[in-house]
Amino acid sequence: MRVQDLAQLSTRMFKTNPLRTWLTILGMGVGTGAVVILVGLGFGLQQIILEQIVFGDSLLSLGVSATGAQGLTLTPEIVQKFEANEAVVDAAPLARFPALVTYKGLTGNVFVQGAEPAYLRYAGITPSAGEAFVEEDINDASSIMLSPAVLKLFGIEDEDAESFIGERVSFRLLVPADDGTDLVNEIILDKEYIVKGITKEEGVLNALMMLPELREYVGIDEYERVQVNVVDNENLPLVEAWLVEEGYRVTALSKTVEQATQIFKGIQAVLATFGGIALIVSAIGMFNTMTVTLLERTKEIGIMRTIGASPNDVKYLFVSESIVVGFLGGVTGILMGVILGVTVNLFLNFIAGQYGGQAVSLFAFPLDFLAFIAIFSAAVGYLTGIFPARRASTLNPLDAIRYE
Amino acid sequence: MAKPLIVARDLSIIYNQGKSNEFKALSGVNTDIFEGEYIILFGPSGCGKSTLMYSIQGSLPPGEGTLLVKGDDVYSYPPSERVYFQRHVMGIIFQSFNLIMSLSVLDNVALPMIFCDADKTTRDRRAQSLLDRFGVGHVSGKIPAMLSGGQQQRVSVSRSMVNDPKILLADEPTGNLDSVSTQQVMDKIDEINTFDRRTIIMVSHNAAHLSYAHRVYYLKDGKILREVVNPQRKQIKPVREGETIVTELEQLARLYPYDSVETWRVKSMINFLTQDYTFSQIARLEHAVGLFIEGKINRDSFIKSLMQPSERGGVEVPEDEAKRMAKVAERIIKNSDDIRRFRARKDNDAIFFSQDKLAERMSEHLANHHRIKLSKQQNENMTELIADRVTGVANDEEFNSRLMKGIRSKGLALSENEADDMTRYFEKIIAQGVDVSYKL
Repeated sequence: MRVQDLAQLSTRMFKTNPLRTWLTILGMGVGTGAVVILVGLGFGLQQIILEQIVFGDSLLSLGVSATGAQGLTLTPEIVQKFEANEAVVDAAPLARFPALVTYKGLTGNVFVQGAEPAYLRYAGITPSAGEAFVEEDINDASSIMLSPAVLKLFGIEDEDAESFIGERVSFRLLVPADDGTDLVNEIILDKEYIVKGITKEEGVLNALMMLPELREYVGIDEYERVQVNVVDNENLPLVEAWLVEEGYRVTALSKTVEQATQIFKGIQAVLATFGGIALIVSAIGMFNTMTVTLLERTKEIGIMRTIGASPNDVKYLFVSESIVVGFLGGVTGILMGVILGVTVNLFLNFIAGQYGGQAVSLFAFPLDFLAFIAIFSAAVGYLTGIFPARRASTLNPLDAIRYE
Repeated sequence: MAKPLIVARDLSIIYNQGKSNEFKALSGVNTDIFEGEYIILFGPSGCGKSTLMYSIQGSLPPGEGTLLVKGDDVYSYPPSERVYFQRHVMGIIFQSFNLIMSLSVLDNVALPMIFCDADKTTRDRRAQSLLDRFGVGHVSGKIPAMLSGGQQQRVSVSRSMVNDPKILLADEPTGNLDSVSTQQVMDKIDEINTFDRRTIIMVSHNAAHLSYAHRVYYLKDGKILREVVNPQRKQIKPVREGETIVTELEQLARLYPYDSVETWRVKSMINFLTQDYTFSQIARLEHAVGLFIEGKINRDSFIKSLMQPSERGGVEVPEDEAKRMAKVAERIIKNSDDIRRFRARKDNDAIFFSQDKLAERMSEHLANHHRIKLSKQQNENMTELIADRVTGVANDEEFNSRLMKGIRSKGLALSENEADDMTRYFEKIIAQGVDVSYKL
């Protein structure tokens, strides 16, 4: 039988039994729709989290800090030693001192950090308001980036962060005395810094200035953290292993992303399982319909067999019919799932807009996932059709033709 | 000698073999069917005629014995290759048409070609030409449910011919049809046999169709009882001289298809003992009398057709005898009108004739015809008796016995012979005059 004839013969059910056919398709659609919406939710959540992490250099960076246990410290020599490694492109250090910040007469405790612009790139520090330091700012001596918590200190709400840009703050560094006592020397930074940007770091009171500027006031012989930028992905674990061996604590953003992806794969699997149950229910429904259709069409099968249809012709007819139903069910499900997801997104964003929150996409539908669902549903159609089809093809034509 | 197209040897088919409802549908059937033959498998329902046909068709594997179609054992092929026979060697039509209701008439006819991978233009052209040939071309765009039974069966005939098969199988093709459609379909099948030279194997229990066939197989209880050759058709199956002779029994087989050979022998003997005419004369006489009773021919043409020689469809009756027959028949028919009128009066109160008048007239005719002089009392009794018989109060036996009863007890006091003659004659008149059609 030619393909176009097969297509014509196997889509007759839309004419002969439109209601039942569309209901079967709808049943499959609800099942696949459940899978689409739930897995779409998983994709959406994953995207929301990963969007917060800046990719690029930060993925090829390792955050190194001293554990302190083995008396290791991150001295400038150590940083040079890191840079000497062939696999390492660059090592950007960060120094940190406790300090007091003053804004319009209000004073609070913060940490003043000094770093080079490269550190921001490697650590993936991005501004939520204002601007971040870039390479040209290396000698900037009057700008500062604050973490959102610092603003809270001065009673500034998150929404007003933008208006805080350009405000002026002053600092007093609290540097431990180098004579071994617990005494703390207070170093007054005798100028006002202009707020250049607000970072995204949550729950820490940080003020970030350029490392050369910090060096103007205090001698740095020990860093808090070093961001090591590695040549490429392959060397990342090698360098990491080397650093760990040396006794440092290493965190890698790429690892975090990997872990997040792992977790979301798990979440997606759980969600897909729930959707899959719905899909199994509708597949059983479809199987049932195909079986009933077989019984109903027994006589027709008999007629076709006696006028020259081979057992395979009969089988192909049934299988292609169920593939059509399955595939259309998948397409319907995709439509239902995507429409529902997009609607919920729009609704949430509308609510968020009303309350001044950030727009997020709770549901995401990657195209390759949708294509997979369409093909998968056709495959489910094939599976539900193959058994009735086999039975139809083995029917004795004479018994079939006498079946009423 | 030509090779037969279909050969069955010791063919047995058993349904539900090994189960408690085991049933032997065919046992030890032997048959040779030659190319171009018109074969009817005849018998009562359950005799195995359909079983034999479907076995030839390739849907019923024989339990024992061999079945060869064109020298090939169909059942030695797997089902996927066996369809070759169904596609190219055999076409089939069914009693219940078995068209597919979800396809147009054209697609139904083209369906066998779809399974043969024919392209759409070719198969549509072929299907349309067949539909045109069988007089249903104008409905090709409709769905079968919109067609009459006769049209559906002609569509089905078109479908069976679409792949130009050698053999046409027909399973009681006229079983669901009215007489007009039956005639059309039978003519088309006959045309396929005589014009297209296709072999026809038809299952039927309609005796009227037997004259179409070259040979008829009579089946009963899964066995072929006998094979009857139709002497009116030139035989295709080679007959060895002296092996089979055509006898009166073949004629009787077609006249009385449900009777056994023994009954036919009895009928043959009785015909000789009681009648001066042969069965074929009687058949032609029946035809002429039928036309005369229906009023389709007048008395002169009736006499002529009785006198004509048998070559020209006549009965070959001598002139005097023919005239006598015409006279008697005419008289009976004429007097039967009074019976009709009398019975019509029953529902419709007397307008022109009272029932008494009609009964008196009939009584007078009977007396005159049998040359009996009736007294006044006898005449009264006779009128009353006729009225009773025609209204159905008395049956023929009561009528006869009352003719012989004494005048006092409302009889006519006729002799037994007179009474018997009169009863017989009057019953003939009643038979012509009484309306037996069903009324509510």
